[in-house]
Amino acid sequence: MTWRSLLALAWANLRADPGAALVDVLAAAVGAATLALFVALGLGVGDAARRMFPADARLVEVVPAQLSLGGLLGGGRLDESARQRLLALPGVRAAWPRQNLVVPVAAPEPPLGLEAAWPPGMTLQIPVVGVDPSMVEEDTRRGVPFADPAEGGAIPVVLSRRLVEIYNKTIAPTWGIPGLPAGLDPVGIELPLRIGVSIIPGKSERRILEVRVRLAGLSDRVPLYAMAVPLATVQRLHRLYNRSDPGYGQVTLLADSPADAPAIAAAARRMGFNVDRSELATAERVGTVVRVTTGALVGLALLMTALAALAIARSRAASVAARSREIALLQALGATARDVRAMVLLEALLVGGGGGLLGMAVGRGLGLLGDLAWHGLLPDFPYRPEAILIFPAWLLAATVGVAALSAVTGALTPAAAAARVDPARALS
Amino acid sequence: MIRLTAITRSFQDDGREVEVLRGVDLSVAPGEVVAVMGASGSGKSTLLAIAGALDAGFGGEAVVAGQSLRGLSAGALASLRNRSVGFVFQSFNLVPAFPALENVLLPGLLRQGRREPREALRERGLAALARVGLAAKAAARPSRLSGGERQRVAIARALLTRPVLLLADEPTGNLDAVTGESVIRLFGELAQEGTAVLVVTHEERVSRVASRVLTLSEGRLS
Repeated sequence: MTWRSLLALAWANLRADPGAALVDVLAAAVGAATLALFVALGLGVGDAARRMFPADARLVEVVPAQLSLGGLLGGGRLDESARQRLLALPGVRAAWPRQNLVVPVAAPEPPLGLEAAWPPGMTLQIPVVGVDPSMVEEDTRRGVPFADPAEGGAIPVVLSRRLVEIYNKTIAPTWGIPGLPAGLDPVGIELPLRIGVSIIPGKSERRILEVRVRLAGLSDRVPLYAMAVPLATVQRLHRLYNRSDPGYGQVTLLADSPADAPAIAAAARRMGFNVDRSELATAERVGTVVRVTTGALVGLALLMTALAALAIARSRAASVAARSREIALLQALGATARDVRAMVLLEALLVGGGGGLLGMAVGRGLGLLGDLAWHGLLPDFPYRPEAILIFPAWLLAATVGVAALSAVTGALTPAAAAARVDPARALS
Repeated sequence: MIRLTAITRSFQDDGREVEVLRGVDLSVAPGEVVAVMGASGSGKSTLLAIAGALDAGFGGEAVVAGQSLRGLSAGALASLRNRSVGFVFQSFNLVPAFPALENVLLPGLLRQGRREPREALRERGLAALARVGLAAKAAARPSRLSGGERQRVAIARALLTRPVLLLADEPTGNLDAVTGESVIRLFGELAQEGTAVLVVTHEERVSRVASRVLTLSEGRLS
């Protein structure tokens, strides 16, 4: 018997009892819609959490010990020698130093073209940190070289990606000023700075340098609170202002793989340094909460899908029992037990697949409504996702697949019962 | 067309073995109508199920359409039923969800291996319906047909594959006298065209078209 014939028979059987078929389709649809919605919610929340707490599990942030015997004896200082020793640790691919500029820097006026986003008369004190250019290499490929410029040249800077979000969603609304225009590419924007100026009375330097900084990129690897410039620029300014070398404030180690990070952190601690894992730990905690919550929701959805499959199984079993004479007739006319089994499984596949398609459409529709409500009811805030429910194509396909597969699995027993119908007895 | 030799068949009933057929010998040749009569429960339907390759749990030797049933796989038995045997039942056994024509086409849909093109199959189905005088009722569902019309649809279904053997189990049992007569006449016509017809019945009128009338009693044919 051909698959086309089997499909025609299965379809005709479902049409013969449309009420039962509709209930089966609805049962599968409820399970599928729940699965689609819960997984989409988990993906949406997970995506928002990842943007809010960007963390690379391969990074180990090494900082000088606050108080250590090594420090008292002259060890524990993070300098180039310590960086080389950290770089030599097994599993370390790179060691990127970071040095805070100890000369005050202030911005007395806004970037050109963004005057509206600058409160009148404001002078902004800006912390500056020097970073290894290779650490932000992937974020500074937009035409502004991230290297110490010649005297008088614009200094390239990198800002935290999160700073822009927080400025737009929190600072700008609080100050009553417009945020950065939507669609604006901030790379290349210049800001006049005065090096040596402090807003704290008596803390300014005698020598004031008028410079310009030019945004070279946005990165998740630079601090939220500071403007990152090339490490060489900070070292040059320290020399210019006769500051002794303060050492590195932090060295970021890049592990070969996330699995190497704990051992590297332990080795750094043994060398007398502290390891700052606060951001990573926060990201990991948030990630764990998201994973556990999503897992529970998906578990609940799978339970509903299983219940739907059970309902379909019962319905198919009742249908097979009621049709035993018809099934026997098919056998008398030439159907094999395998044909009969396949026909019942195809019936389940049709109701499961149909329910899956319906559930996917309903889930997607509810997702759109949820997003509309999300945008309409909640205020704008940093990292507010555009969509709280994310429906990738694979999820839509998986929704239909899981619904169809669970229905077919539920129909295995009724199909076996149908294949066992004795035509001689059923037709007598 | 059928040659049954020393057929035995027994069933378990409440842990007790009941012997329904006790060494039945029967042969039906092409063009012959053989009627088997007997009381209810005498084993007529069991005999028909064995002759139609529906029941493989028998003893003895059964040859149908030139093939010995013993040793045939389930698939081969199904194929034999599909190609060589037509069934007509007392309760018609039409699929209620299918229109008359779709019921007639069922054996074509169930054919193993490469299927006949849909249009050709449909033409043959319509021809089979026309043969039993129901061409105009092709689109009617069984619930819209009278008892006689349903039985004629069942006969058309049996004829679709041009079987060499037609097996009928109480074919007039649910029909009035006039309709029953027309069905009996149809069996006679089919036999004249070369089909071997085996009818089990307890109605005397079937014997009018039968070449032989046998009686099944105490598990034996006489």
